[in-house]
Amino acid sequence: MISVADLFTDDRIPGNYFATDTYLKSDLELGIIENRAGSRLLALPAPLIEAIYSGLEKETGQATSLVLSNCGRWWGRNFYKRFCAELGDYYSTAVSDMPMVEFLQALEECWRVHGWGRIEIDQSYHGKGFLLVYITNSPFAALANVKGKNVCALEAGVLTSFFCEITGKDITCIELACECAGAERNCFVVGLSKRLQGVDLMLEQHQTPTEILENLTA
Amino acid sequence: MSKTITELFNEAENRYLQPEELQALSGYVDSLPVRLDVYKRLRDQEAPLMQKVADQLQGSLPQEPVSNIERSLKQALLLLRTCAMAMLLDDEALVEEKLVTWTRKMVQAYGTQQINRVLYRLLQENLQTLFVASDLALLERPMTQAESAFIGEQPPASS
Repeated sequence: MISVADLFTDDRIPGNYFATDTYLKSDLELGIIENRAGSRLLALPAPLIEAIYSGLEKETGQATSLVLSNCGRWWGRNFYKRFCAELGDYYSTAVSDMPMVEFLQALEECWRVHGWGRIEIDQSYHGKGFLLVYITNSPFAALANVKGKNVCALEAGVLTSFFCEITGKDITCIELACECAGAERNCFVVGLSKRLQGVDLMLEQHQTPTEILENLTA
Repeated sequence: MSKTITELFNEAENRYLQPEELQALSGYVDSLPVRLDVYKRLRDQEAPLMQKVADQLQGSLPQEPVSNIERSLKQALLLLRTCAMAMLLDDEALVEEKLVTWTRKMVQAYGTQQINRVLYRLLQENLQTLFVASDLALLERPMTQAESAFIGEQPPASS
């Protein structure tokens, strides 16, 4: 028989750690924003993000996406550590022992509550060794002020580190389609670096995400 | 507290409250002793109530793996606690913010609609044996808000 008393985690039923009103705390007098674990959060004003994009474009030109991607990787490594530590504390279990469904759902909620848009993990290519990630309402894409090319290198970098850390393997994440280039949503492919080597070339040939995925899984 | 009442407190510098606004406030204050009472009884009854539901659920779905049943029971415990709080504070937004999206995704991801439907019915039946109709009426709104997500119905197209 099931004992209801055994279903609790320290007399709690953990739900959504990232529920907005419990997750975010601010102290106007001290001018700080914190999350529920007391970690400091940073609010980025839109003009700053715009300025980062335009400043990088002016200073580094073509290297912009490389710079953003590297920044994203740094951010992603720290983000992963904090994500796992806080989630692990909340669920009183190591993140590696969490069911995948709950882990991914927490990631989606985490993304949303920080104002990075809506992220969706599509596992339909899981069997072929790839994950697809969709992001909509990304402030980074919206504020890039660029038309006609993929601009979410920062997020691609974050996701690269995040999935490297989870899997312990050499993983890369590449943006395949971008709202800035007319796509409905930003689409990323995640997979082993060596299997994604040809993707940059395919993107240069203006292949669609569907064509690229067909080539990758052929 | 309900949004209407919370917003009343922001009016201090503008004006004194209108009679109908004071009415809304005293309506909530008057209902508070009952809300507290129902809340306390729910708290005290949580364990026996949910244990009974758990036993009946296992009896109704003997083929179902225990892990699935346990997962759904956890969702039900979360639902009950959230609805109890929403009832106490008369806060409609609370269920939506803390429970609905999360539960809806979990139920879809694990595909436990069938178990949750049976579980929700058993929960309702057992609540009816513990509480009188006027107590249940207080719980009804948050429970209804949570129901469709919990049993895995698609949200209405407008939301």
